[in-house]
Amino acid sequence: MTTPDPIHHDGSSDALPGGYDARRRPGELVFAILLTVASLALLWNAYGIAGLSKLSSPGAIPMATSAVMVVTALIVTVRTARQPRVADETVARDILPGTVILFVGLLVGYALLLRPLGFLPTSALFLIVGIKVLSRRGWGFTLGTALLSLAVIWLIFRLVFSVLMPAGIVPEAEFVQMLRNLFGGVL
Amino acid sequence: METVLAFLTVFTQPQLFLLVGVGTFAGVYVGAIPGLSVTMAVSILISFTFSWDVYPAIALMIGIYMGGVYGGSRTAILLNIPGAPSAIATAMDGYPMAQKGEAGTAIGVTTVMSFIGGFIGIIVLALAAPFVSDFALSFQPRDYMLLAVLGILLVGSLSTGSLVKGIFAGAFGLAIGAVGRDPLTFAERFTFDFRLLEGGISFIAVMIGMFGVSEALMQLQHADKTAVKQKISRIVPSWGTVRRHLPLSLQTSSIGVIIGALPGTGGDIAALMAYDHAKRVTKNPEVPFGQGAIEGLVAPETANNAAVGGAFIPMMTLGIPGDAVTAIMIGALFIHGLNPGPMLMVDQPHMFWFIVGALCVANCFMLLFGLTGIKLFTRIVEMPRAVLIPLIMLLSIVGAYAVNNAITDVYWMLAFGVFGYFMRHYGYPLGPVILGVILSRLLDDNWRRAIISDREDLGRFFGGILHSPLSLVLFVAVILIFVSQTPVWAKAKAMLRKESA
Repeated sequence: MTTPDPIHHDGSSDALPGGYDARRRPGELVFAILLTVASLALLWNAYGIAGLSKLSSPGAIPMATSAVMVVTALIVTVRTARQPRVADETVARDILPGTVILFVGLLVGYALLLRPLGFLPTSALFLIVGIKVLSRRGWGFTLGTALLSLAVIWLIFRLVFSVLMPAGIVPEAEFVQMLRNLFGGVL
Repeated sequence: METVLAFLTVFTQPQLFLLVGVGTFAGVYVGAIPGLSVTMAVSILISFTFSWDVYPAIALMIGIYMGGVYGGSRTAILLNIPGAPSAIATAMDGYPMAQKGEAGTAIGVTTVMSFIGGFIGIIVLALAAPFVSDFALSFQPRDYMLLAVLGILLVGSLSTGSLVKGIFAGAFGLAIGAVGRDPLTFAERFTFDFRLLEGGISFIAVMIGMFGVSEALMQLQHADKTAVKQKISRIVPSWGTVRRHLPLSLQTSSIGVIIGALPGTGGDIAALMAYDHAKRVTKNPEVPFGQGAIEGLVAPETANNAAVGGAFIPMMTLGIPGDAVTAIMIGALFIHGLNPGPMLMVDQPHMFWFIVGALCVANCFMLLFGLTGIKLFTRIVEMPRAVLIPLIMLLSIVGAYAVNNAITDVYWMLAFGVFGYFMRHYGYPLGPVILGVILSRLLDDNWRRAIISDREDLGRFFGGILHSPLSLVLFVAVILIFVSQTPVWAKAKAMLRKESA
């Protein structure tokens, strides 16, 4: 099949998964080994469900799937181990650069703060830091875009999709009521 | 008569009509903006439309689906960046055309061809689905089981990546789907004695993580790439151009419908296969392929939109998704208490004809939005990724949280997002994971039904397969996929080539 050049071998879709044909990327072997170990743990757990008692037991399909996982992960590990490494890539630059780690940290922080602080303050913080780091532009641009887009998102979610997020320290319900009163019950 | 009324639902209810329109409009942009994909949008939308009725929710998703599959072509042509996976093949000839100043023609042809492909897909869906569903009533549990396995294997075998990794991804998805208490015996499966895991893992968290967060993390590496502006001239193509490529478009539409209808494989694979087909059958292209051949646009664009209609065939008739987006839609139907499968067509034919109607409307809206609004379009696509990526992440978190109001789902989503990020980097396809999650229950139930009715006897089970033509065909297909990966197959192929030469 015709294969267009994948951008940076990152895997944009199922038709064009990432990676290289005959070389391994940095960290690929470690990932494959981890998958094998995790699959073994799943197989062990699946065996514990009902053992090998009956073909129709609740453990039958879990055992079959985890066994398939073990076998395929092993094949991938062996194949990967045999391949030469991609010479010009490093984990720190091509696989897990600082920005990615930072954003995973930001996301975890968001999840931790969401309940105590509430949706609006947490999201504002997240967007401001995120946009500032990525755009490297002035505070005016950062605060403007972050707060404006948050306002739009909040209005759409709260009023069109009626999604309720934790209010936290912001008196959101009162504010929505005020808006409703203002528009005479149209919303 | 009832069929006609059901088909017309979307036309007679202004609200639904409007939602399809809004969805299609949004879809064109979602598809066009690199980093936003239809799968991502639809999986996030499931949780937002949670409180809606099923019809408006499906109307919106269908619009986004249809518009999104088309929208990717715009950025592929103008910027050489496929906005959506289904437009990967479009960039190969679309961008060279734009460089020659023919961006308008390229967009026009693409739009009209997407429209033609879309309609062919819908027509095949409308004609084939009722037959398939009648036929499906005679399916045995083992046939469902084999179909599910086949669907999970197909993605890996038809894509350019490694089948072994595809199989791993599918099995992984099945395992995720099995987590929690078994619905039949209440035995704990894959819970590792954590109470948290007893209820299972929310499939929406898995989807949003895999398609939303992992994609956004991926895009971080390309955050500072800027777009090159193109001038756009007249875009409505001449009738002559359309007519000249009609035969090819019919062939590639058929490829699209078939690939779409195969469980698991969708528009992205259909587009690449159609592109290959066009290269084979077009003997003397005016412009060579890869340098701006119109045929190189016609083929993938008809195929990927035809695949949309195709993908609904197994989804509506068997409850087995035709691609990742329909997998997510099955999830949406589950949430709304519907159970896609042959009984849905019998019990609620209205739902099916409504979807066909909505697809028609979405297709027309796509043509309309495709041929207008180019100026607005270039503005929106220039939205800096520095703003877009944090917004996608925010939407993903809200989406994962909103379904069950559970912060645990957010952590699951993040975990699967990071895991999906590595899977993408190392060439593991994500589609089979989602397919596995959605099909896990179906596979498990049908295996147990099949083996219990064969009195736990594997011999009888395989005997049953041999005696039913359908089971046999499915079983052979599964085996063939495995054989095609072994050296035996390559040797056989080489021998055949020699003989024919």
